[in-house]
Amino acid sequence: MEYDVQFHYVKQAWPYLMEGLWVTLQLTFAANVIALTLGFGIALLVMSRLWFVRAPFALLIEFFRCTPVLVQVIWFFYCVPILFGVYLDPMPMGILALGLNLACFNAEAYRAAIQAVPREQMDAGVALGFSPLQRVAYIIFPHALRAALPVLITNGITLFQQSALVALVAIGDLMYMGKQVATQSYRPIETFTAVALIYFAVSFPVARLAALVERRLDVARA
Amino acid sequence: MYDAMTQPLASLRNIHKAYGSLTVLSGINLDMSPGERVVVIGPSGGGKSTLLRIMMGLEEITEGSIEFEGQPYITARNGKTRIDADVRKKVGMVFQHYTLFPHLSILNNLMLAAVKTRGMPRAEARDKAMQLLARLGLEAKAGAYPSHLSGGQKQRVAIARALMLDPRLMLFDEVTSALDPELVAEVEQVMLELAEQRLPMMIVTHDMWFARNIASRVIFCAGGVVVEDGPPEQVLGDPVNPRTREFIQRVFHIHG
Repeated sequence: MEYDVQFHYVKQAWPYLMEGLWVTLQLTFAANVIALTLGFGIALLVMSRLWFVRAPFALLIEFFRCTPVLVQVIWFFYCVPILFGVYLDPMPMGILALGLNLACFNAEAYRAAIQAVPREQMDAGVALGFSPLQRVAYIIFPHALRAALPVLITNGITLFQQSALVALVAIGDLMYMGKQVATQSYRPIETFTAVALIYFAVSFPVARLAALVERRLDVARA
Repeated sequence: MYDAMTQPLASLRNIHKAYGSLTVLSGINLDMSPGERVVVIGPSGGGKSTLLRIMMGLEEITEGSIEFEGQPYITARNGKTRIDADVRKKVGMVFQHYTLFPHLSILNNLMLAAVKTRGMPRAEARDKAMQLLARLGLEAKAGAYPSHLSGGQKQRVAIARALMLDPRLMLFDEVTSALDPELVAEVEQVMLELAEQRLPMMIVTHDMWFARNIASRVIFCAGGVVVEDGPPEQVLGDPVNPRTREFIQRVFHIHG
């Protein structure tokens, strides 16, 4: 079969794709803001000494880790409004679904990092007169953030890629715009290749950055 | 009101400590006067470090009580340890492994607790920190991070950080044990200077030469009790108790 590859169609569709990329970036950014903060809170709760505090959050983490993201996104869009009577616009709903998913993965990264905070650091915190809350804010959080940073960045990029799934629920992200352009132009090969390259062009440098941060932190620790 | 002339600085009554079935301290009684420098020596597992950690409020106790400057500080009742957080602020501690905050510069390591837990204005805390660093010959390191300092420098910073809060009693838990031999002297020198200023201290150390130099009183702790308690010349030079005698002979034999 002969296929005449013509990339100038992509050039015409470029503004639409950029519009989609902008939505994808907003989605990724907002979900990451939720996940970086909420994830830390969930990590603390899941490490609680009280089982009835610990249990629901452990379950929440396992729920998000053990079901496909695609199912989570669709469940949020179709089931949350009916089950909980929460009616949100597609964009906030997408941010919520992806943000919670990422928060659970980040919580695991934070938890490992918190457990790696040397016990003596906490002793020093007590000896200097910090309250339990101050110890979390001034000692545990900075320690855990640094230790978890490479994983947090990697999780963040993964979410950027997984956000393509929201195209299925009609959020106008990069993937959604790609589908529209492909259908209207009858040029799926050029369009989806371009879409893939755009995802790559954003992900790759950030992945390199994560590797750099990891190496820097190793040097600082040595 | 606390009267330093008549009342002990710290008063430990019948301190018991057990981890499950393992008894670490079984009835420590101790009165420490202001200006005293107590060095605690004894075999590993004899409860020396535990005693210091209890005095810092880092460990719960099974039984007993501690008063500090005449105020109730720590009490054990019905298996619960109650620690007065305000009294605890009068005690400072330096640990074996420096415990500086790696994400903060040396200056900020000194300032953080003073500003956040004592409400000291930032400018005042900065001045005080710089003065302390200058006294210890570390002012050039104010902007550096802990990972760029030698072990001896880190430990001196840790001492300065504790001094920022004007403790009425300083606890030193094997502060030179993790240091390379050539770095021990610079830390011990700082502690000797503090001794000259009559800062009350309680020190756990394995360095008997240093113990003899800094102590005004030496306590030999073994098997969870105070076995011998007296001036350094007596406890280190001519111990009365056979267990102390055996320990001292062994230690001095090893260290020549």
